[in-house]
Amino acid sequence: MADKPIEGEKKAFMTGNEVVAWAALAAGAEIMYGYPITPQNEIMHYWTRLAPKFNRKFLQTEDELSAGFTTIGGVLAGKRAFTATAGPGNTLMQEPMSMAEMMRLPTVVVIQQRGGPSTATVIYSQQEVTMTTYGGNGEGLRIVYSTSNHQELFDYTIKAFNTAWKYRFPTFILGDGYQAKMRESLTIYDPEVRGIEMVPTTPYVLRPGQIGVNREPNHLRNTYNTEEELYEVLQKHISAYNEVAPEIVEYQEFGTEDAEIVVVSHGVVFRSCKGAVQELREEGLRVGYFRPITLRPFPGEQLRKVAERARMLLIVESAYGQLAKLVKDAIFGCSVRIEGLFKPGVGITSEEVVTKVKELL
Amino acid sequence: MSNTAVRSKVVKIALAGEGGQGVQSVAEILAEAANDEGREALYIPNFGVEQRGGVSVAYLQIADKPIAAPKFQTADIVVALSDRAIFRTKQYVGPETLFVYDSSIQGVSEEDLPRNARKILAIPALETANSELHPRVFNIIIMGAVIKATGVVSMEGAKKAIEKKLGYKFEQNPALRELNFKALEKGAELVEKLL
Repeated sequence: MADKPIEGEKKAFMTGNEVVAWAALAAGAEIMYGYPITPQNEIMHYWTRLAPKFNRKFLQTEDELSAGFTTIGGVLAGKRAFTATAGPGNTLMQEPMSMAEMMRLPTVVVIQQRGGPSTATVIYSQQEVTMTTYGGNGEGLRIVYSTSNHQELFDYTIKAFNTAWKYRFPTFILGDGYQAKMRESLTIYDPEVRGIEMVPTTPYVLRPGQIGVNREPNHLRNTYNTEEELYEVLQKHISAYNEVAPEIVEYQEFGTEDAEIVVVSHGVVFRSCKGAVQELREEGLRVGYFRPITLRPFPGEQLRKVAERARMLLIVESAYGQLAKLVKDAIFGCSVRIEGLFKPGVGITSEEVVTKVKELL
Repeated sequence: MSNTAVRSKVVKIALAGEGGQGVQSVAEILAEAANDEGREALYIPNFGVEQRGGVSVAYLQIADKPIAAPKFQTADIVVALSDRAIFRTKQYVGPETLFVYDSSIQGVSEEDLPRNARKILAIPALETANSELHPRVFNIIIMGAVIKATGVVSMEGAKKAIEKKLGYKFEQNPALRELNFKALEKGAELVEKLL
């Protein structure tokens, strides 16, 4: 049996789904639970091909509800566990992930967004933003990384396991069908050679010792009898979340000091916006970009500073205003003009962004 | 097209055909070849719910710097290998686009072809495959044509990438290697005559 999935680091050229499987292996994920749905199927395919070589496990469940709950089971047993899904599968996944939120369990879920609502297309969208950030019957106490290229898909999949186990909130990688299926180059690596230490995992159940003798009982609850009891627990969770949020928040910005228009986008659409902004800057136009990497927690303070200086924000997304909602909520009260380029379920090219910005300038 | 002209910008390629004509393999091999030559490549297939049939489109971009969006509005070269593929890919044609289609496609009139292309080439790839080589290397002829028209990778690089992808088949039947390489050269010739 091979020792490490990746020795040192090496250049690779592969699909995003393959990238996720390699990243999870490199991160020391011990088990994947899953149910097939396009466009994430190949994460499972590659995982099942690679996992046995490194003594890792896989369980195919009967649906995504079960895949989510078994992932919770794996985590309760102290395993670095994950699952992956998309679209209607993500809808079902909200039930178990609400439980993970209630119990503050470090589940890791990779989402490859497809067109919606319902079955819609198996291809691509950014329409699972609202669901992934605030889905379920809870308060969105989750961490959501939105990646834009294969290198980030690799880096943040590894990081997701550490964020989850460090802060104990359900953590999501929000990719999409384009990232899932396209091939491009990246460097894959053993986290150790980059100085990344994997946060150790610990079991929630079957802990050593005896209750009442040498350890406290371990209350694992998602059910409460009184309003006050629930309220008290949620207050703790919410303040814990708010306290760590500033450490978790990640974003990128460019040209925002003097920009008249700041283009706001996330995920794969950010690539088009970045390209467009660079082109417009070369023409001498005062345009910048702001890109949240974490959609939860959202870099609201940072965006507010940008919004206070700019004349206009142009929000670009392959959804009908799901990112826009997060933006408006974050900068409420700011008088900046907000425009949108919303194309639900459809890709957006740099050319379209350039055209839109020029219309607005 | 000179080599420097090619390398100063992203080359955008759209390949479309019927499922089974092998356009995805062509795009994948070209992407691998470009990557192996140290260039940036991004390849994405289109995919729908159908398991077979339907028009298959491959989007490929090759450049010297990281590539922005995975899909694009206007291609530098569009290759369409069936009537439906022509209708489907017309939208990617602009004033700078070279539009290539197979001359054996039936039922396509002058009006069906894009009117705004820089140049339109009809190449007898299918006929050449059937009469001179073998139907199975039809897509490799197309690959040769794309390489000649764009210069995105070297012929040597393409051969290495074909070897990487199909080497296991060549080991069992070395004549296949010869056949594939010949198809690649033939495709380049077909385009060279017309450019």
